[in-house]
Amino acid sequence: MSDRDTVGLESLEPDDLDGHTIDELADYLDAGMQPADPSIDDSAACQNALAAIVRLRHSSLGSLEAAAAQEAPADESWISGVLANISLEARAGRDVPLRPEAPTERPVMTEGAIRSLVRTAGDAVPDALIARCTLEGDVTELGAPIRVVVEIAVRTGSTIQQVASDVRETVGGVLATQTDLVVEAVDVVVRDLLPPPDEDSADTADTSDTAAGEEQA
Amino acid sequence: MHHQPLTDLDDAVLVGRSSDGDVRAFEVLIRRYTPLLRAYARRTLGSTDELDDVVQETFIAAWNRLDRLDDGTRVKAWMMRILSRKCLDRIRARRVHDDVTELEVAAPADDAPERVAEARSREEAVETALAELPEAQRRCWVMKEVLEYSYEAIAEELDLPVSTVRGLLSRARKNMIRLMEGWR
Repeated sequence: MSDRDTVGLESLEPDDLDGHTIDELADYLDAGMQPADPSIDDSAACQNALAAIVRLRHSSLGSLEAAAAQEAPADESWISGVLANISLEARAGRDVPLRPEAPTERPVMTEGAIRSLVRTAGDAVPDALIARCTLEGDVTELGAPIRVVVEIAVRTGSTIQQVASDVRETVGGVLATQTDLVVEAVDVVVRDLLPPPDEDSADTADTSDTAAGEEQA
Repeated sequence: MHHQPLTDLDDAVLVGRSSDGDVRAFEVLIRRYTPLLRAYARRTLGSTDELDDVVQETFIAAWNRLDRLDDGTRVKAWMMRILSRKCLDRIRARRVHDDVTELEVAAPADDAPERVAEARSREEAVETALAELPEAQRRCWVMKEVLEYSYEAIAEELDLPVSTVRGLLSRARKNMIRLMEGWR
């Protein structure tokens, strides 16, 4: 039997915890044991109870992860069902006007469709992967100047500046040819590193894309 | 052309792409977190045929609100919170009202310590101990210790006074510590 079992973990009342309640101890732990309370820090009984709370917390999280490991992987037909039920429009964003070819036309492209263009173009740049794309400025007004912020992940071992510069050029190019946005700048932010290239690259789930929001006239 | 497999990407990148409308990225998140979410739902609702539905609702709600998640690295905890609300909705729908006084006095069965003591691992012991807790205590405990809700947030979600939540958590804590100290 270890020491901690000898100090009052049976009742867990203030009499056993040098005047503290178990809840005070849990709150003290939640507060990062700040500010220091010597009446807790110097009490063997309290330290004991704190250790029991910490052990319990660790195993509470661990037990959920362990339970998750016992669950079957997600069923394929169920996944298809979930994907069929999500609304692409929810992620389509703002309507971005295109230059009309006739005065009566009001053609638009969704922000989601533009982000998809950026993603597809950026992913095709060697050693780059698009993490996120944000259009800053009033994209709903034709001809208003905007900035494009592209967050990317870059392959470990590649030249980051070169990859970022290639992405900037590629994204600028695709937006110039496929939208009527007036792009003042493409800002590339490196957010993450990709693992080094895998020798036997199996192409099961590659980055070919499904876009939210189709072009509409 | 060599494509980077999305399955290897970390949560933040997948969340960013999903928020931008990339369904394939979201599919990877679904595959990654379905077992955890199912385990959480099972713990909260029991093994019912509602698990598939409640997890599906969680992913759909998450997709719709992705732009409100500021820190993509927190997507796991964020989705578990969405799920916890969905589970609570189901529990509320099952039972019209909780009797607060009844919530306060319930206690684990007399033979609970024996059952916990028989567990083969610490994780299994926690699982058993949790199962022995009265339902209201278990719910508060999981919200506090697994989802890291504040007392006030738990009170709001469960529609109970904060004092009741504190009382339930106090009992849950003592019960869990006692039950777990019996295991080793």
